[in-house]
Amino acid sequence: MRIYVTGATGFVGSAVVAEALRRRHEVVAVVRPGSRAELSQQFPDHGNRITEARIDLRSMEGLAESLDGVDSVVHLAAAKTGDFYTQFAGTVVATENLLAAMKQANVAQLVAMSTFSVYNYLAMKPGTLVDEQSPIESDPKLRDEYAQTKLLQERLYQRFESAGGGRVVILRPGMIYGPDNLWHALLGAELGPRFLRIGSKATLPLTYVENCAEAIIDAAEALADRPGELTGEIINIVDDNLPTQAQYADLVAARIEIPPTISVPWPVMNAATTLLKKVNESLAGGRAKFPGIAVPDRLHARFKPLRYTNAKAKRLLGWSPRFPLEEAIARSSGIEATHAGATGGPVSDPAGTPS
Amino acid sequence: MFSSIQGRAAARSLPLRAAVVGSGAISKEHLSYLAGRSDAGEDVAERIRLVAVCDLSAAAATYGASQFGADTAYTDITAMLAQERLDVVHILTPPSTHLPLAELSLEAGAHVICEKPITGSTADLETLLAVADRCDRSIMESHNYRFNDGYLAIQDLVTSGRLGQVSDIEIRIALPITDPAGRFGDPNLPSPIHHMPAGVLHDFTTHFSYLLLGLTSDVKFHRISAAWSNHSTNPMFRFDDLDALLIGDGPEGPVHARLRFDSRSGPDTFSVTVRGTNGWAQTDFFQPFMWMVVPRPGGAQLSPIINHVANGFGLVRDGVANFGRKLLQHTPYHGLHRMLDHTYQALAAGRPLPVSRDDMLQTSRLVDRLLAEEVRL
Repeated sequence: MRIYVTGATGFVGSAVVAEALRRRHEVVAVVRPGSRAELSQQFPDHGNRITEARIDLRSMEGLAESLDGVDSVVHLAAAKTGDFYTQFAGTVVATENLLAAMKQANVAQLVAMSTFSVYNYLAMKPGTLVDEQSPIESDPKLRDEYAQTKLLQERLYQRFESAGGGRVVILRPGMIYGPDNLWHALLGAELGPRFLRIGSKATLPLTYVENCAEAIIDAAEALADRPGELTGEIINIVDDNLPTQAQYADLVAARIEIPPTISVPWPVMNAATTLLKKVNESLAGGRAKFPGIAVPDRLHARFKPLRYTNAKAKRLLGWSPRFPLEEAIARSSGIEATHAGATGGPVSDPAGTPS
Repeated sequence: MFSSIQGRAAARSLPLRAAVVGSGAISKEHLSYLAGRSDAGEDVAERIRLVAVCDLSAAAATYGASQFGADTAYTDITAMLAQERLDVVHILTPPSTHLPLAELSLEAGAHVICEKPITGSTADLETLLAVADRCDRSIMESHNYRFNDGYLAIQDLVTSGRLGQVSDIEIRIALPITDPAGRFGDPNLPSPIHHMPAGVLHDFTTHFSYLLLGLTSDVKFHRISAAWSNHSTNPMFRFDDLDALLIGDGPEGPVHARLRFDSRSGPDTFSVTVRGTNGWAQTDFFQPFMWMVVPRPGGAQLSPIINHVANGFGLVRDGVANFGRKLLQHTPYHGLHRMLDHTYQALAAGRPLPVSRDDMLQTSRLVDRLLAEEVRL
């Protein structure tokens, strides 16, 4: 299969390219014009099966042409930093352009990367099982720019499919961890030189980057083989045997240096931010803007104790996470800025950010 | 205001039907005002109806329309102008598109409010003004910082004579425009502003010019030298630094002005300092404060001490106020909201607009003069 991968030099993208090449697929890797990445050098043994497309998805220029001969698109590119309008352009407009180009180029198969961020965590009771039927955020304005733009992006996918644009399967991964992203936002937040650890008992919805990459390529293959079964499906991606925050933090702390921390129990943070929200609503009409962890809607999305399942991914994709937690952490912490990629080793990308 | 010769627009029946073209970051500010969500204007909903949002991206137009309560989203301005009977069109697209989009809007019978720089040259501005005349409609460039609290306070100090005869003005902007993670420095999809004669600095030179002219309406600047530099050597940038000196004659003596753009120093700054024969004052738009050294009731002996104490208390007050502003999102764009409110009030009443055509022409001519080869250092 000829697979078109957007965001190919990113944290997840480079693992997806490696996995696609490992399975003997051809890859068209979308790389932004200003990127210094040289994929052919990154994958020297697969030079004849990887092509670079130097394109910025915020523009239609060259987009449809670059899709020529492609069987399946894996859309990973998204803006994860910047203000709302920057993320809107990098995520929503980029996706709008990609879908228009796919239509123009007659490419009908899309594996679309979404995120766990789209769920409405404030509406869930503690201990709820989060699955694909869980409610979607109904008031995106209360969430961060990333969640807002990913919600808009999902709507574009669904419109594309319902308008007959193509066959789409949407993957919603939890927190993707790996090299350079072991100590992440589900553990807490930076507080000056220290790290504020929020909670310890919540189960973490994690997926290791190489496991996630396998699920993505599984989805591309399954969508090609069984379009009737996969088209229109939304599938959550998390690994097996998910750890609690404390278990995970202990494993990571044994492998890498972590910042000095201050710990706050989840119930304390929850009560404090709920009170702050009420004060804001009664005194300022809800207009006061606070840092993310002081907003209940955002706090719950990161730290609320919930349960997770990957049953649907296993059933529909035949996916089984290959690397268990301890091995994944060992693979992630044992390498620095090298890319074993298609040889089966772990991947690294300093620009990696959580999904 | 440095002049007010703007042609009067005939009073329009309310609510005025408005549309926004372009859904970039600045659209949030225009749409917030039009949707009645800014601090400016108490009865916006009765005076203005947001009819449409137009953008080449359907997703962007639809999002803007849905978030701010517009009736319809368009991806084609011609279709929008044909289908909606618009009184006012806000043009918020890249500068190179202003001229054709403004012409279309004026010819469709709408007044135009356009983001700065309205055109890349005075010649293009004159073309646009001629179209407005032919269509009997008004066009206005956004001079938003002229309506900020701090600038209005400084203008009051100048016009009241409290600073004495103005002799020296410095306007300084510091912003890291070459940062590759920023909107101007992004190498992947370079901003269209790079194509303007001063590149990215064209945006800021327009601010410099109208702010300076607003404080020196009776001064003729006859000596100008401007050092335009690209210290970053990034080939995407024409310039990332401006150091301009202007010397002119006013009715009460010579006036010196320095316009300084710097992309290397921090933190982000947009300050205005005015010095006169009696004292001086300084404000900053990004972190608003007012520092004022003027004669005090204690006479020459006590004035320095009273100034220090008064400014010390003032800084504490401004610090607390800025914390509140940050929480409540009272941004430097409050001047834009105020300018829009004055504009809509004027359109409804058939009064002169708050930014006159002379304001726009003088601003554009000063930008042209700063860019002229013969003044470059």
